[in-house]
Amino acid sequence: MSSDVHDGLLVVRCQLGEREAFRELVGAWHAPLCRYLRGMVGSPHLADDLAQEVWIAVVRGLPRLRQPERFAPWLFTIARRTVTDQLRQMYRVPETSLDVVGDVVADDELSGVLTTMQIEAGLSGVPPLEREALILFHLQDLPLVACAEVLGVPPGTVKSRLHRARRMLRTTLAERGYEA
Amino acid sequence: MSEQNPAAQRGVPEELERALAAEVSLRSRMRHIAVGLAGGCAATLIAVLWATEPDPLPARTQVAFAGLIAIGAAWAGLAGWVLSRRRPLFARDRVLGARLALGATVLTTIAGTALAAVRGATADVLVTALGGVLFTAAAALVLVRAQSRRRELLRLRDALQRDDS
Repeated sequence: MSSDVHDGLLVVRCQLGEREAFRELVGAWHAPLCRYLRGMVGSPHLADDLAQEVWIAVVRGLPRLRQPERFAPWLFTIARRTVTDQLRQMYRVPETSLDVVGDVVADDELSGVLTTMQIEAGLSGVPPLEREALILFHLQDLPLVACAEVLGVPPGTVKSRLHRARRMLRTTLAERGYEA
Repeated sequence: MSEQNPAAQRGVPEELERALAAEVSLRSRMRHIAVGLAGGCAATLIAVLWATEPDPLPARTQVAFAGLIAIGAAWAGLAGWVLSRRRPLFARDRVLGARLALGATVLTTIAGTALAAVRGATADVLVTALGGVLFTAAAALVLVRAQSRRRELLRLRDALQRDDS
Protein backbone atom coordinates (compact mmCIF):
# COMPACT_ATOMS: atom_id res chain seq x y z
CA MET A 1 0.00 0.00 0.00
CA SER A 2 1.51 3.29 -1.12
CA SER A 3 0.46 5.31 1.93
CA ASP A 4 2.02 2.65 4.18
CA VAL A 5 5.29 3.04 2.27
CA HIS A 6 5.07 6.83 2.53
CA ASP A 7 4.36 6.66 6.27
CA GLY A 8 7.12 4.11 6.71
CA LEU A 9 9.54 6.42 4.94
CA LEU A 10 8.55 9.35 7.17
CA VAL A 11 8.94 7.21 10.28
CA VAL A 12 12.37 5.95 9.22
CA ARG A 13 13.48 9.52 8.53
CA CYS A 14 12.27 10.47 12.01
CA GLN A 15 14.12 7.51 13.53
CA LEU A 16 17.25 8.66 11.76
CA GLY A 17 16.86 12.03 13.46
CA GLU A 18 15.73 14.22 10.55
CA ARG A 19 13.84 16.93 12.44
CA GLU A 20 11.98 18.11 9.33
CA ALA A 21 10.42 14.66 8.98
CA PHE A 22 8.67 15.11 12.34
CA ARG A 23 6.87 18.18 11.04
CA GLU A 24 5.77 16.25 7.96
CA LEU A 25 4.62 13.27 10.03
CA VAL A 26 2.59 15.46 12.39
CA GLY A 27 1.22 17.44 9.45
CA ALA A 28 0.06 14.24 7.76
CA TRP A 29 -1.53 12.60 10.81
CA HIS A 30 -2.70 15.41 13.08
CA ALA A 31 -6.09 15.85 11.40
CA PRO A 32 -7.02 12.13 11.44
CA LEU A 33 -5.81 11.88 15.03
CA CYS A 34 -7.89 14.89 16.10
CA ARG A 35 -10.92 13.48 14.33
CA TYR A 36 -10.56 10.22 16.26
CA LEU A 37 -10.04 12.02 19.57
CA ARG A 38 -12.97 14.39 19.02
CA GLY A 39 -15.16 11.46 18.13
CA MET A 40 -14.13 9.67 21.31
CA VAL A 41 -14.23 12.51 23.86
CA GLY A 42 -16.67 14.93 22.25
CA SER A 43 -14.93 18.12 23.39
CA PRO A 44 -12.63 19.79 20.83
CA HIS A 45 -10.55 21.46 23.56
CA LEU A 46 -9.98 18.21 25.40
CA ALA A 47 -9.21 16.52 22.08
CA ASP A 48 -6.52 19.14 21.37
CA ASP A 49 -4.91 18.56 24.78
CA LEU A 50 -5.00 14.81 24.26
CA ALA A 51 -3.54 15.20 20.77
CA GLN A 52 -0.52 16.95 22.26
CA GLU A 53 -0.14 14.14 24.81
CA VAL A 54 -0.37 11.55 22.06
CA TRP A 55 2.23 13.27 19.88
CA ILE A 56 4.66 13.56 22.77
CA ALA A 57 4.21 9.84 23.49
CA VAL A 58 4.75 9.14 19.78
CA VAL A 59 7.99 11.14 19.67
CA ARG A 60 9.24 9.37 22.78
CA GLY A 61 8.32 5.93 21.49
CA LEU A 62 9.37 6.37 17.88
CA PRO A 63 13.01 5.23 18.25
CA ARG A 64 11.71 1.86 19.53
CA LEU A 65 9.13 1.33 16.77
CA ARG A 66 10.39 -1.76 14.93
CA GLN A 67 7.88 -1.81 12.08
CA PRO A 68 7.82 1.68 10.54
CA GLU A 69 5.16 0.70 8.01
CA ARG A 70 2.79 -0.16 10.90
CA PHE A 71 2.76 3.45 12.08
CA ALA A 72 -1.01 4.03 11.76
CA PRO A 73 -2.14 1.20 14.06
CA TRP A 74 0.62 2.11 16.51
CA LEU A 75 -0.46 5.77 16.55
CA PHE A 76 -4.10 4.90 17.17
CA THR A 77 -3.13 2.39 19.85
CA ILE A 78 -1.37 5.20 21.70
CA ALA A 79 -4.34 7.51 21.09
CA ARG A 80 -6.73 4.89 22.41
CA ARG A 81 -4.63 4.37 25.54
CA THR A 82 -4.55 8.13 26.10
CA VAL A 83 -8.34 8.39 25.72
CA THR A 84 -8.85 5.43 28.07
CA ASP A 85 -6.62 7.01 30.72
CA GLN A 86 -8.47 10.30 30.34
CA LEU A 87 -11.90 8.68 30.65
CA ARG A 88 -10.75 6.67 33.65
CA GLN A 89 -9.56 9.88 35.31
CA MET A 90 -12.85 11.59 34.51
CA TYR A 91 -15.13 8.86 35.76
CA ARG A 92 -12.84 7.25 38.33
CA VAL A 93 -14.14 3.79 37.57
CA PRO A 94 -12.02 0.64 37.42
CA GLU A 95 -11.23 -0.59 33.93
CA THR A 96 -13.55 -3.34 32.87
CA SER A 97 -13.17 -5.67 30.00
CA LEU A 98 -16.01 -4.77 27.71
CA ASP A 99 -15.14 -7.22 25.01
CA VAL A 100 -17.90 -9.55 24.14
CA VAL A 101 -16.75 -11.58 21.21
CA GLY A 102 -19.71 -11.91 18.97
CA ASP A 103 -20.23 -14.04 15.97
CA VAL A 104 -18.67 -12.81 12.79
CA VAL A 105 -21.37 -11.06 10.91
CA ALA A 106 -21.54 -10.06 7.33
CA ASP A 107 -21.24 -6.38 6.50
CA ASP A 108 -24.67 -4.95 6.37
CA GLU A 109 -26.04 -2.64 3.75
CA LEU A 110 -25.09 0.49 5.70
CA SER A 111 -21.34 0.15 5.18
CA GLY A 112 -21.41 1.62 1.74
CA VAL A 113 -24.30 3.98 2.30
CA LEU A 114 -23.35 6.10 5.30
CA THR A 115 -21.48 9.27 4.59
CA THR A 116 -18.75 10.67 6.79
CA MET A 117 -20.99 13.53 7.83
CA GLN A 118 -23.77 11.20 8.85
CA ILE A 119 -21.42 9.03 10.88
CA GLU A 120 -19.98 12.09 12.66
CA ALA A 121 -23.48 13.40 13.31
CA GLY A 122 -24.58 10.17 14.95
CA LEU A 123 -21.41 9.32 16.87
CA SER A 124 -22.59 10.77 20.16
CA GLY A 125 -25.44 8.27 20.26
CA VAL A 126 -23.13 5.25 20.03
CA PRO A 127 -21.36 3.74 23.11
CA PRO A 128 -17.55 4.17 23.33
CA LEU A 129 -16.50 0.67 22.24
CA GLU A 130 -18.72 0.66 19.16
CA ARG A 131 -17.91 4.33 18.52
CA GLU A 132 -14.17 3.78 18.28
CA ALA A 133 -14.66 0.84 15.94
CA LEU A 134 -16.77 3.11 13.71
CA ILE A 135 -14.23 5.93 13.82
CA LEU A 136 -11.25 3.72 13.02
CA PHE A 137 -12.94 1.71 10.28
CA HIS A 138 -15.18 4.27 8.58
CA LEU A 139 -13.58 7.64 9.34
CA GLN A 140 -9.90 6.67 9.43
CA ASP A 141 -10.22 4.02 6.71
CA LEU A 142 -8.07 1.58 8.65
CA PRO A 143 -8.34 -2.02 7.43
CA LEU A 144 -10.20 -4.43 9.69
CA VAL A 145 -6.97 -6.15 10.76
CA ALA A 146 -5.40 -2.82 11.75
CA CYS A 147 -8.56 -1.87 13.70
CA ALA A 148 -8.32 -5.19 15.54
CA GLU A 149 -4.67 -4.48 16.34
CA VAL A 150 -5.48 -1.01 17.70
CA LEU A 151 -8.43 -2.23 19.76
CA GLY A 152 -6.60 -5.33 20.97
CA VAL A 153 -9.39 -7.71 19.95
CA PRO A 154 -9.82 -10.32 17.19
CA PRO A 155 -11.11 -9.08 13.79
CA GLY A 156 -14.37 -10.94 14.39
CA THR A 157 -15.03 -8.81 17.46
CA VAL A 158 -14.41 -5.67 15.44
CA LYS A 159 -16.92 -6.86 12.86
CA SER A 160 -19.57 -7.50 15.47
CA ARG A 161 -18.91 -4.12 17.09
CA LEU A 162 -19.21 -2.45 13.72
CA HIS A 163 -22.46 -4.29 13.10
CA ARG A 164 -23.87 -3.14 16.45
CA ALA A 165 -22.54 0.37 15.89
CA ARG A 166 -24.22 0.67 12.50
CA ARG A 167 -27.49 -0.57 13.94
CA MET A 168 -27.33 2.01 16.75
CA LEU A 169 -26.26 4.67 14.30
CA ARG A 170 -29.19 3.91 12.06
CA THR A 171 -31.54 4.30 15.03
CA THR A 172 -29.87 7.51 16.17
CA LEU A 173 -29.92 9.03 12.69
CA ALA A 174 -33.54 8.02 12.17
CA GLU A 175 -34.45 9.76 15.44
CA ARG A 176 -32.67 12.90 14.25
CA GLY A 177 -34.41 12.88 10.93
CA TYR A 178 -31.59 11.62 8.71
CA GLU A 179 -32.45 9.17 6.02
CA ALA A 180 -30.48 6.00 6.64
CA MET B 1 -5.27 8.26 3.55
CA SER B 2 -6.85 11.22 1.99
CA GLU B 3 -5.67 13.71 4.59
CA GLN B 4 -2.03 12.90 4.19
CA ASN B 5 -0.49 15.79 2.35
CA PRO B 6 1.83 18.62 3.35
CA ALA B 7 -0.99 21.11 3.18
CA ALA B 8 -2.49 19.40 6.19
CA GLN B 9 0.28 20.99 8.24
CA ARG B 10 -1.85 24.12 8.34
CA GLY B 11 -4.07 22.21 10.73
CA VAL B 12 -1.29 21.77 13.30
CA PRO B 13 -1.64 24.30 16.13
CA GLU B 14 1.38 26.51 16.79
CA GLU B 15 1.43 25.47 20.43
CA LEU B 16 1.77 21.84 19.40
CA GLU B 17 4.50 22.75 16.89
CA ARG B 18 6.44 24.46 19.69
CA ALA B 19 5.95 21.60 22.13
CA LEU B 20 7.14 19.09 19.55
CA ALA B 21 10.10 21.25 18.53
CA ALA B 22 11.23 21.19 22.17
CA GLU B 23 10.49 17.48 22.37
CA VAL B 24 12.72 16.57 19.39
CA SER B 25 15.44 19.14 20.15
CA LEU B 26 18.94 17.87 19.35
CA ARG B 27 20.52 20.55 21.54
CA SER B 28 18.59 19.36 24.59
CA ARG B 29 19.72 15.79 24.00
CA MET B 30 23.35 16.75 23.54
CA ARG B 31 23.17 18.90 26.69
CA HIS B 32 21.95 15.94 28.71
CA ILE B 33 24.65 13.70 27.25
CA ALA B 34 27.30 16.30 28.12
CA VAL B 35 25.97 16.74 31.65
CA GLY B 36 25.82 12.99 32.20
CA LEU B 37 29.34 12.46 30.90
CA ALA B 38 30.71 15.38 32.90
CA GLY B 39 29.08 14.07 36.08
CA GLY B 40 30.25 10.50 35.52
CA CYS B 41 33.80 11.43 34.53
CA ALA B 42 34.18 13.93 37.39
CA ALA B 43 32.95 11.33 39.89
CA THR B 44 35.44 8.82 38.47
CA LEU B 45 38.39 11.20 38.70
CA ILE B 46 37.49 12.19 42.28
CA ALA B 47 37.27 8.49 43.17
CA VAL B 48 40.76 7.97 41.68
CA LEU B 49 42.06 10.95 43.68
CA TRP B 50 40.56 9.54 46.85
CA ALA B 51 41.78 6.00 46.21
CA THR B 52 45.36 7.06 45.43
CA GLU B 53 45.68 9.39 48.43
CA PRO B 54 48.87 8.21 50.18
CA ASP B 55 47.88 9.37 53.70
CA PRO B 56 44.55 8.86 55.48
CA LEU B 57 42.26 11.83 54.85
CA PRO B 58 40.44 13.79 57.57
CA ALA B 59 36.79 12.75 58.06
CA ARG B 60 35.42 16.03 56.68
CA THR B 61 37.49 15.69 53.51
CA GLN B 62 36.26 12.13 53.08
CA VAL B 63 32.67 13.31 53.46
CA ALA B 64 33.32 16.07 50.90
CA PHE B 65 34.82 13.57 48.44
CA ALA B 66 31.89 11.18 48.95
CA GLY B 67 29.45 14.06 48.47
CA LEU B 68 31.14 15.15 45.23
CA ILE B 69 31.14 11.58 43.90
CA ALA B 70 27.45 11.23 44.79
CA ILE B 71 26.62 14.51 43.03
CA GLY B 72 28.50 13.45 39.87
CA ALA B 73 26.85 10.03 39.90
CA ALA B 74 23.43 11.64 40.45
CA TRP B 75 23.92 13.89 37.41
CA ALA B 76 24.96 10.89 35.34
CA GLY B 77 21.92 8.95 36.59
CA LEU B 78 19.54 11.83 35.91
CA ALA B 79 20.91 12.27 32.39
CA GLY B 80 20.56 8.53 31.78
CA TRP B 81 16.94 8.59 32.95
CA VAL B 82 16.08 11.63 30.81
CA LEU B 83 17.71 10.10 27.73
CA SER B 84 15.91 6.79 28.17
CA ARG B 85 12.46 8.11 29.19
CA ARG B 86 11.99 11.72 28.18
CA ARG B 87 14.38 12.45 25.33
CA PRO B 88 15.21 9.16 23.62
CA LEU B 89 18.03 9.37 21.13
CA PHE B 90 17.40 9.01 17.40
CA ALA B 91 19.97 7.26 15.23
CA ARG B 92 22.04 10.32 14.39
CA ASP B 93 21.89 11.56 17.99
CA ARG B 94 23.09 8.18 19.23
CA VAL B 95 26.13 8.32 16.94
CA LEU B 96 26.97 11.86 18.11
CA GLY B 97 26.41 10.92 21.74
CA ALA B 98 28.52 7.78 21.44
CA ARG B 99 31.37 9.81 19.91
CA LEU B 100 31.19 12.25 22.82
CA ALA B 101 31.16 9.33 25.26
CA LEU B 102 34.17 7.73 23.58
CA GLY B 103 36.12 11.01 23.71
CA ALA B 104 35.18 11.56 27.35
CA THR B 105 36.13 8.04 28.45
CA VAL B 106 39.48 8.22 26.61
CA LEU B 107 40.31 11.56 28.27
CA THR B 108 39.16 10.32 31.68
CA THR B 109 41.21 7.14 31.31
CA ILE B 110 44.33 9.12 30.41
CA ALA B 111 43.79 11.65 33.21
CA GLY B 112 42.92 8.98 35.79
CA THR B 113 45.90 6.80 34.89
CA ALA B 114 48.20 9.82 35.00
CA LEU B 115 46.86 10.74 38.44
CA ALA B 116 47.33 7.20 39.67
CA ALA B 117 50.86 7.07 38.22
CA VAL B 118 51.88 10.29 39.99
CA ARG B 119 50.20 9.55 43.33
CA GLY B 120 49.65 5.82 43.77
CA ALA B 121 51.35 2.45 43.66
CA THR B 122 51.72 0.24 40.58
CA ALA B 123 48.58 -1.68 41.55
CA ASP B 124 46.60 1.58 41.58
CA VAL B 125 47.86 2.47 38.11
CA LEU B 126 46.95 -0.98 36.77
CA VAL B 127 43.46 -0.97 38.29
CA THR B 128 42.76 2.57 37.05
CA ALA B 129 44.05 1.81 33.55
CA LEU B 130 42.09 -1.44 33.39
CA GLY B 131 38.88 0.28 34.54
CA GLY B 132 39.46 3.04 31.99
CA VAL B 133 40.06 0.54 29.20
CA LEU B 134 36.82 -1.29 30.10
CA PHE B 135 34.80 1.96 30.04
CA THR B 136 36.44 3.01 26.77
CA ALA B 137 35.70 -0.39 25.23
CA ALA B 138 32.06 -0.07 26.34
CA ALA B 139 31.84 3.40 24.75
CA ALA B 140 33.43 2.07 21.54
CA LEU B 141 30.91 -0.78 21.46
CA VAL B 142 28.05 1.70 21.89
CA LEU B 143 29.45 3.75 19.00
CA VAL B 144 29.77 0.70 16.74
CA ARG B 145 26.18 -0.34 17.49
CA ALA B 146 24.89 3.19 16.94
CA GLN B 147 26.65 3.42 13.58
CA SER B 148 25.36 0.01 12.56
CA ARG B 149 21.77 0.97 13.49
CA ARG B 150 22.12 4.23 11.55
CA ARG B 151 23.44 2.40 8.46
CA GLU B 152 20.55 -0.07 8.71
CA LEU B 153 18.02 2.79 8.82
CA LEU B 154 19.72 4.58 5.91
CA ARG B 155 19.45 1.42 3.81
CA LEU B 156 15.78 1.09 4.76
CA ARG B 157 15.16 4.75 3.95
CA ASP B 158 16.75 4.35 0.51
CA ALA B 159 14.68 1.23 -0.21
CA LEU B 160 11.46 2.98 0.88
CA GLN B 161 12.33 6.05 -1.19
CA ARG B 162 12.66 3.84 -4.27
CA ASP B 163 9.27 2.22 -3.49
CA ASP B 164 7.66 5.59 -2.79
CA SER B 165 8.79 7.24 -6.05
